[in-house]
Amino acid sequence: MKRRDFLKFIGAGGIGTGLGILFGQAIKPPGSKLIPYLIPPEDVIPGLANWYASLCTQCSAGCGVLVKVMDGRAKKVEGNPLHPVSNGKLCVRGQSGVQTLYNPDRITGPMKRKGARGSNSFEPISWDEAIREVSGKLKELSSKGEAEKLYLLSSSLGGHLGMLADDFMAGFGSSNSIKYDLFDNRNLRYANKSTMGLDAIPHYDIENTQYLLSFGADFASTWLSPVALSRGYGEMRQGGHSARGKFVQVEPRLSLTAANADDWVPAKPGTEAILALAIAREIVESGHYKGSDVSAWKSLLAPFGRTYAAGVTDVDKGKIRTIAKEFMNARPSLAIGGESISGYSNGVSGLVAINILNHVAGNLGIEGGVQPNSSDLFAGRRADRVGPGIDALIKAANGSGIGLLLHYNNNPAFTTPGSAHAVEAIKNVPYIASFSSFMDETTALADIILPSHTSFEDWGDDFTDPAPGFQVATLMQPVVSPVFKTRSLGDTIIGLGKGVGGAAAAKMPEGTYAEHLKDSWSGLYTRNKAMNASELTFERFWRDTLAKGGWWKESKPKMSKLKVSARSAARHISKEPAKFEGDNSQYPLYLIPYAQAGHLDGRGANVPWLQELPDPITSVVWGSWVEINPKTASRLGVKMGDMVEIESPYGKILSPVFVYEGIRPDTVAVPIGQGHKLYGRYAENRGANPLEVLPPTVDSRTGAYALNSTRVRIVKTGRPGDLVKMDVSTDELGRNIVQTVPPGGAPHKDTSHH
Amino acid sequence: MSGILTRLKDKLASYRVPGYRTKFDYKWTMVVDLDRCNGCEACVVACYAENNLPVVGKRDCDISRRFSWIRIERYVEGTYPDVKVKFIPIMCQHCDAAPCEIGCPVYATYHNQDGLNVQVYNRCVGTFTCATYCTYDVRRFNWFTYKWDAPLEQQLNPDVTVREMGVMEKCTFCIQRIRVAKDTAKDEGRKVQEGDMKTACEQSCPTDAITFGDLNDPHSKVSKLAKSPRRYRLLEELDTDPSVIYLKRVMEDRKGSGHGTSHG
Repeated sequence: MKRRDFLKFIGAGGIGTGLGILFGQAIKPPGSKLIPYLIPPEDVIPGLANWYASLCTQCSAGCGVLVKVMDGRAKKVEGNPLHPVSNGKLCVRGQSGVQTLYNPDRITGPMKRKGARGSNSFEPISWDEAIREVSGKLKELSSKGEAEKLYLLSSSLGGHLGMLADDFMAGFGSSNSIKYDLFDNRNLRYANKSTMGLDAIPHYDIENTQYLLSFGADFASTWLSPVALSRGYGEMRQGGHSARGKFVQVEPRLSLTAANADDWVPAKPGTEAILALAIAREIVESGHYKGSDVSAWKSLLAPFGRTYAAGVTDVDKGKIRTIAKEFMNARPSLAIGGESISGYSNGVSGLVAINILNHVAGNLGIEGGVQPNSSDLFAGRRADRVGPGIDALIKAANGSGIGLLLHYNNNPAFTTPGSAHAVEAIKNVPYIASFSSFMDETTALADIILPSHTSFEDWGDDFTDPAPGFQVATLMQPVVSPVFKTRSLGDTIIGLGKGVGGAAAAKMPEGTYAEHLKDSWSGLYTRNKAMNASELTFERFWRDTLAKGGWWKESKPKMSKLKVSARSAARHISKEPAKFEGDNSQYPLYLIPYAQAGHLDGRGANVPWLQELPDPITSVVWGSWVEINPKTASRLGVKMGDMVEIESPYGKILSPVFVYEGIRPDTVAVPIGQGHKLYGRYAENRGANPLEVLPPTVDSRTGAYALNSTRVRIVKTGRPGDLVKMDVSTDELGRNIVQTVPPGGAPHKDTSHH
Repeated sequence: MSGILTRLKDKLASYRVPGYRTKFDYKWTMVVDLDRCNGCEACVVACYAENNLPVVGKRDCDISRRFSWIRIERYVEGTYPDVKVKFIPIMCQHCDAAPCEIGCPVYATYHNQDGLNVQVYNRCVGTFTCATYCTYDVRRFNWFTYKWDAPLEQQLNPDVTVREMGVMEKCTFCIQRIRVAKDTAKDEGRKVQEGDMKTACEQSCPTDAITFGDLNDPHSKVSKLAKSPRRYRLLEELDTDPSVIYLKRVMEDRKGSGHGTSHG
């Protein structure tokens, strides 16, 4: 800097200061930016960390977390050790919450569409303009008498945010709230509701079981509540309280969870339900089942004989018998099912079969078995999570049934089968307002974007589902100030409600969403004896609850009597295996698209840590792959890393080959999560999305898309692929790196642990 | 003066003699239970977050420049349908007879008296010798000064140095957390106790497979676990005397695999 420039600079500073004095508050003197730490915020000591309790929203499990905050910045997320779901632990996605918060590809403020729809060309506007415009459009819709044509499309909004959204919709006069996530356990909820009458997902007590029989549930990476269930798994194996539990996994592809099983049973895709029922039949026939309705079960299960099942499922008769014997003799035992088994065209039937298995073996309502969760806290106001599915929205959009679409936090343009044509359908909607924090394929279709905070900047709560056998309400509090010009979704909804006026405005609370949340909790506190028993004032209770991360009262789960009646089950089971599209001679291989640990339904793909995290089974980073059995690969003449086309009757994708012993020779598997066209610099144009080749098959009972419902063929391209895997060799070459000891061969359970 | 010299001499003599570690305050040790580990890699992300590990991108991953200080190795045995996949988390083993320490020409890597194999970034001149000598392939080299796309850098942990080009690095057993625990203990006039600190990987592990602590404390969890009949150390035949103890996975031998892999 030249001396003259320096003097100019000083001069300008002087003028600035003078004006500041002239205009008083209008221009703050530069000093106000320099001295904040002279009187520091109450609890900030530079260099020392504060840990705030909050809620993880990377999936729907609802883990309580602690966020390490130093000098106003979030540094690390760890599980909240007091929280009964996370127990102080956290999975790969949960820990990546900080990279969601500080993601360079977040939407930084409200924007309005500039170019053609879907061209991803937006211009910034102010929040006031944005609220004014959207409420104007809403008013227009309601003045036309088409309030019913307002649709809200969101992920399952837990807690009071969901209730606020429902209030808004009801006040406006629309009942069209569509909750959609690719893995929202729609089939599981339905199966449990229709056979056991359960509203909430029960607690599957893996920790205390002696024999775990899992049909496709990949709980080590993605199923239900991976952290809580993985903790249970560790305890089942080496916890100090009982003998080491045995674990058998049934699925066509050896997943991360199956890799930990004592036995992997690769039943033929689509026949797992029949296998489960054949096991149930063995149990009933053996006389193990003592219920008064034993004859009803005998006749219901009669068609599922061992010989028939063995022929269909490709699991030999002896094996079926052994599993049945071990399953009924190990007390307690537990069968769980999810992901691959619930992803067939008859997904519900498979899950009903598992409930039957638990019923006849006597695993319902016992420790180490299936334990019901209550949902009393909500006084009947729990947001109904098994409402109409995304297929209903697509139908409405195609039939011009949607006048205005509000969209938040899911991405159906990426997470529905290509053949469902969700993008084309959504493009029919005259006006779309999105509250997304990230520019994904669905958000790009919006006319206006009012970006929401991410979880570490926002208030919120969640009533954990599945709960650990007792009710858990977790609070979410802002731990850092907003990084960008985003808003709390609750505040946006309140703003829109008030902007619209009328009944919607009347239903909106006074003040901010944060105040509304506190008021709602005050209501919870007054209503629930369990909460106010300690006779604290509400203020004190609120402060303690925020500090602790939520409210729960640990108790032994109620072992209430659960049962499955043969009559309710009969409606859902059938002797027919699941259906697959594609003629066997044209398309010889079953396709299993599966949830990948880091990316879930694709929402983890914009996080650099998760892109560079090797897949637990294949060790592949930054891309996708197709798993092929070596026998199949050699028949097709492809080898590790070759680029191939995966072609179904509905389309084709390109992926490099990963040759894997852990998959059936008649099956190929592709992870979900990559193949984004939009979603920020880390995710875009990387790998392939297997959903693009799926048929639009749904289980008609729930509207859930069947992921495993097509056959494919593999076509050589002759080109090398872009496979990058971190493992050099998966052979120990005799070096005895992972040493093992057979069960029973040596003392195999440590009593010293815990 | 001669008194000090004698004492120093005694101290040096006690150091590096078998069993020396019992004479010092701490012997940090990690126990990894392979029967609990389910290979979920939560520890890997925890390490990235705690230790400011850079993301290098696909191209650099392809030429083995990925930075993970802890990794999960997987081994596949057998053929379909009789397949077993086994996992093992591998981090710096903090060997008491560390091959890496012998090679370093500038003493950038040395053994401290708590049994830690430590790396002094300021001393390191990047000869790569330690990484070449390392038995466990756990050392990572900064080929570049890596950048974080703004505002991702706001997440960086101020308790841990951000390394620059030309420096070798590896797992430190979260020495910054040990440091805090020791300082706190010192302020309170006591030794570090069980439960005062956890390493980042241990803290995150959903199945409780990783346990860290002081082997000199007979009541610590690691001391108890280290006596397990399932105990072994990685490539123990090389006499590197690692500070990481693994507990064997309990697993049926594969059908028809005559030898199995069990040496238990």
